[in-house]
Amino acid sequence: MVGFVLIVAIVLIALMVFLVISIRNRTEFKQSDDVENFVNVLMMHTTGCAIVYEPDYDSVIDLVKNCYNNRKCANLNKMACEYLNESLNLIMEKVMETDASIAAYELDLIYENDEERSYVIPSILKGNCSGSVYGGQQVISVESGKITVIAKFCYS
Amino acid sequence: MVNSLKNKAQMKIQQMAFMIVAVLIFFVLVGLAFLGWQLISVKDNFNSLQKEQAIASIRTISDMPEFNCDSRRSLCVDEDKLIVMANSSYSGFWNVASISAYKILEKKSYLVYDSKQKDKKEFSTYVLICKKITSNYEKCDLGKLSVGVVNV
Repeated sequence: MVGFVLIVAIVLIALMVFLVISIRNRTEFKQSDDVENFVNVLMMHTTGCAIVYEPDYDSVIDLVKNCYNNRKCANLNKMACEYLNESLNLIMEKVMETDASIAAYELDLIYENDEERSYVIPSILKGNCSGSVYGGQQVISVESGKITVIAKFCYS
Repeated sequence: MVNSLKNKAQMKIQQMAFMIVAVLIFFVLVGLAFLGWQLISVKDNFNSLQKEQAIASIRTISDMPEFNCDSRRSLCVDEDKLIVMANSSYSGFWNVASISAYKILEKKSYLVYDSKQKDKKEFSTYVLICKKITSNYEKCDLGKLSVGVVNV
């Protein structure tokens, strides 16, 4: 009887160690070609913001840089960051509307350099996630650092 | 005395036999649980591999000169070319069951080709749908390119 309990205990401990190791190795999200494509395409999407003159509208990537440089959309009389936030919120909502398999999403724009790490605009997120999370990212170089755009989709 | 020892020994053998069976059942259960877990991840991997392959095919189609904006950009589709292709009789050209594109923000769709096969599975990925406004400027929108493949 003691032997049996010992074997069960050893197997349970081994299982727990295995479980802890596999959970630790699990990244925050799985890399996905689809979400990677989404981020790349999103960065090239033309926005309605013209910093200098119309019709020289900014792409999302240019708008992110102009937001970082605290510039203003000349045609809209809005700050680039304010318009970027509005545009990205709208785009993400439309993306979720067109793809029923997306249960939740998160889009982060994070500025990083050697000393600091901060959000360029507040995190854009919606929905409750209970399935698998797939993500993609793109790095934008700016003066004295980089901005990483990370998109995460939770598929039901 | 001998009988009592014999009974005790028989009891011990019986106990040992039960223990061996219990240990065996326990290991079989643990093995089954592990196998089930592995099977789920194999199924997940199969699905994502199938999707990745479909996305690679969509990329090839979007990079064709019949669709792409220019040879330097991947996953970029020319909207004017889409309109032309949607109104052409290129049906025998495509090696897929259907091709369609969709502009996410404008909710505008283009059906390039549909073989009307019933047993098909659609895969899609995000592409840029661009239109020249003037010779120097173009407007690019977030879109999706869907390709239907026959289910086998």
